[in-house]
Amino acid sequence: MSEQNENEMPDLLNLQEFDEEALKKESEEVLQMRLLTSENAEFRRTEGGFIALKFGEKEYDRVGVYLTFPLTNPEEFISIRETDEKAKEIGIIQNLKDMKKDVQEMIREQIRLRYFLPVIRKVMDVKDEYGYAYWHVMTDFGVCRFTTHMGGDAVINIGGARYQITDIDGNRYELPDLYALTVMERKKLDLFI
Amino acid sequence: MKLVYTLSEPQKRALALGEGETVWYCVPVDLAFDNKKKGAEVAYADSTWIIVTDLRLAVLEGDAKTAEYKLADCEKIKCEHQVYSGILTVFGRDGSTSCAARFSMRHIIRVAYVARGAQTIIDACGRGRKLSEADRVTSREYEKYCEKCGRALPGTSQCPYCDGKADMLKKFMALCGEFVGRLLLISVLLLFIAASSLLTPMVQRWFIDEALTDGSGTFTQLCWFIGISFALLVGSLSLFIWRYWLCAKLGASISMSLRRKLYHKIQGLSLSFINNRRPGELMNRVSRDTRQIREFMEGVFGDMLSTLVTMVVSLVMMFIISWKMTLLSLVFVIVVMLVTRAFWHHIRTIFHRQWLKFDDLSSSLQDIISGMRIVKSFGQEERESARFTEKTKDFAAVQKKNETFWATFFPILTFLLGVGTYIAIYFGGIHVLEGEMTVGQLVQFVTYSGYLFGPLSWMTHLPRQVMQMMTSLNRIYDVLDEEPLLADKEDSKAFPIKGAFCFENVSFGYQTYEPVLENISFSVEPGEMIGLVGASGTGKSTLINLIMRLYDVDQGKILLDGCDLRDIQMESLHSQIGVVLQETFLFSGSILANIRFAKQDATLEEVIRAARAANAHDFICKTPDGYNTYVGEHGYNLSGGERQRIAIARAILNDPRILILDEATSALDTESEFLIQQALDRLIKGRTTFAIAHRLSTLRGASRLVVIDKHGVAEIGTHNELLEKKGIYYGLVNAQLKMSETAAPAETA
Repeated sequence: MSEQNENEMPDLLNLQEFDEEALKKESEEVLQMRLLTSENAEFRRTEGGFIALKFGEKEYDRVGVYLTFPLTNPEEFISIRETDEKAKEIGIIQNLKDMKKDVQEMIREQIRLRYFLPVIRKVMDVKDEYGYAYWHVMTDFGVCRFTTHMGGDAVINIGGARYQITDIDGNRYELPDLYALTVMERKKLDLFI
Repeated sequence: MKLVYTLSEPQKRALALGEGETVWYCVPVDLAFDNKKKGAEVAYADSTWIIVTDLRLAVLEGDAKTAEYKLADCEKIKCEHQVYSGILTVFGRDGSTSCAARFSMRHIIRVAYVARGAQTIIDACGRGRKLSEADRVTSREYEKYCEKCGRALPGTSQCPYCDGKADMLKKFMALCGEFVGRLLLISVLLLFIAASSLLTPMVQRWFIDEALTDGSGTFTQLCWFIGISFALLVGSLSLFIWRYWLCAKLGASISMSLRRKLYHKIQGLSLSFINNRRPGELMNRVSRDTRQIREFMEGVFGDMLSTLVTMVVSLVMMFIISWKMTLLSLVFVIVVMLVTRAFWHHIRTIFHRQWLKFDDLSSSLQDIISGMRIVKSFGQEERESARFTEKTKDFAAVQKKNETFWATFFPILTFLLGVGTYIAIYFGGIHVLEGEMTVGQLVQFVTYSGYLFGPLSWMTHLPRQVMQMMTSLNRIYDVLDEEPLLADKEDSKAFPIKGAFCFENVSFGYQTYEPVLENISFSVEPGEMIGLVGASGTGKSTLINLIMRLYDVDQGKILLDGCDLRDIQMESLHSQIGVVLQETFLFSGSILANIRFAKQDATLEEVIRAARAANAHDFICKTPDGYNTYVGEHGYNLSGGERQRIAIARAILNDPRILILDEATSALDTESEFLIQQALDRLIKGRTTFAIAHRLSTLRGASRLVVIDKHGVAEIGTHNELLEKKGIYYGLVNAQLKMSETAAPAETA
């Protein structure tokens, strides 16, 4: 009981007057998984480069696209949320492939806009100097130079031969398969892996 | 941080500045965004700029303008944080929302400042005010990269590469600077050691040639020889011991001095620096890296000088005896040197890796031990221990590999060097047989070549040891070179605080691009108790962090008694603030030491008074050791309420002018809460108090309440005023009343 109370606290702030019914309804709604399907949700592009949504009675001028499993299942359980501070969930797309072709394309565009996770295809050079490592790599975004700390968190293993690299600005780079690199390239990563 | 980059001529032409129009901000972005189709592209952008003038916001790609917005048509310009990137969004007055540019984390801070700057212009123009220089947003943040060489800056404003070579060795010398006297003494000793060992072969040669070879020697000569050799031996041995003793002392002093500096530095650094590092890592730097340096001073540094002198003199002597043979042996030296050089990089790499694995291992060990209760209660011991085993195995594998490498590499080198000696003996033997050389000379030569080769194999060790030391030094200076973000200025003031606070347009975010508090303005009279109310995550604790100056505000200012917080000496400020936090941290030590934490010289009477005021005296008396009861990791088990009351006693001992209570009574049983509430009521009299509480009843003594919502002050006033207003606070009070009604029967049931 008490734990539930705490979860509800933030919502209380927006109520002009305390309404127990509304509160109960809200907590029920949190439990429900509202699925967005081709039948009940209508997406369209906006002029400014975002997407709008008509879901049931409600219309949203702009919605946010959030991946719930960006690394493992990027096209499943996509959470569509409001774009204000609270980013309340409108609904979930269970599997993007089940949506109409043009909607799929629209959503993917938004994912491209929201997520920046360059994938490293080739390692040209890594050199270390004064506690920093300077990388020169080829990514799917093009040639890129970035800098990481030499410390432990710069390169982490996220399962199997998959690695994630964080540079000093906070950008993330993904190395999907260490063994897809040549022996020479792997040697350059010796400092980290 | 630079917010106005210079544009090239063609770019200026493309921008076509109107009459009187000036560029206010100009910053680069790095991700491609197609402004025609309004879509993100999977490519880096080449030379793309966001430009804000006093009239427009424009995006330039190369020499072409791809987007333009009149500021007069804009409602809001915002830098929106996406996932590992950001977008610049323009909200038009017509209700439209448009994305104008996209960038990676590298530029997000810069763009966030520019967006804030553009917003200032929009707001000023909206009110029909003329722009002045005061509207310009500037950033005190440091650049992350050196503009000249592109290298990362280690948290400093100057590049260690471009502005004066801060070579590690130089730093090492500076480090030794404090110990010049002892270093000189050691050097003199080392020279004596070198001399005594160099003399021995000469004595040997004299004895062999003069006394032994032709059989003309006398018993006296024999005695002389033994006497001198023995004296040299004893002499050098005692010098050796003395030197070792001195080096060990020096090493200990240096590492102690480093450890002290490091610790001091870590304490002085902002919380953000510490939060960005794993605790295991910082701990390692203080303990392991300084130990590494001590070991280097003891084991390596002491030998270095004497060995070098011995080697050079030996080489000269060898040349004098026979230059041909010397050159021959040197060939092998060069071979060994080349092999070592070739492996230098490899050696460094594998040991850095070992370091990484060890860091990883100790972090995860700490993880598991701290989370032991969770692990056990979910019955995941097996899995966790398997995970840990995996990591130990990993570390062991790397360590094994490294040591195996050494175990192979090193004997091969030694063998190569040994071969050199054999060759020297072979050719020397021929010389002696042919009569070109005396037996004494040969013995002398072989002994000297031993002096030369022996340390050579030790010198192949040297790169590894020097490298280990350098890595450690690097890691230490990584912390030492970090510039504290919050530092006292020379003209910082210290004065007795009255407690009048004034917040003027305060904005702050832990990340610049994500403001937690925006434009907060209100003032507090001395002695007032301010209750901070709001949902979790709205910035109440952040506001308190700013009051304590654990962080500096990004914009605006906080005035304390009319003086900017940033102009007040930190120590003076902190000594006059008392803090009770939700999570009471007690240090390992006695209750007495914990209460005395903020005022070490407090008398016992003062301690008891403070404990009484905090309602802690009674329970302390009941413990077997009274105020001497040991608390902390292995100490006496105190309940949450008891700990809380000790924390309160700690906060009041100092008689602070400002009191901060962050959820000081949450999660306590009713009785302890009542006791603590009583203590607090006594405490806040006459002091400016800021209190955060979820349970509104705790704040009933507050003179005024500040409701924080959506990053700003939503409501402010007395309890009654806010209730009449029927706003957020009214809703909250009602909600809690209802909840206690529904909860009460549930609790009793």
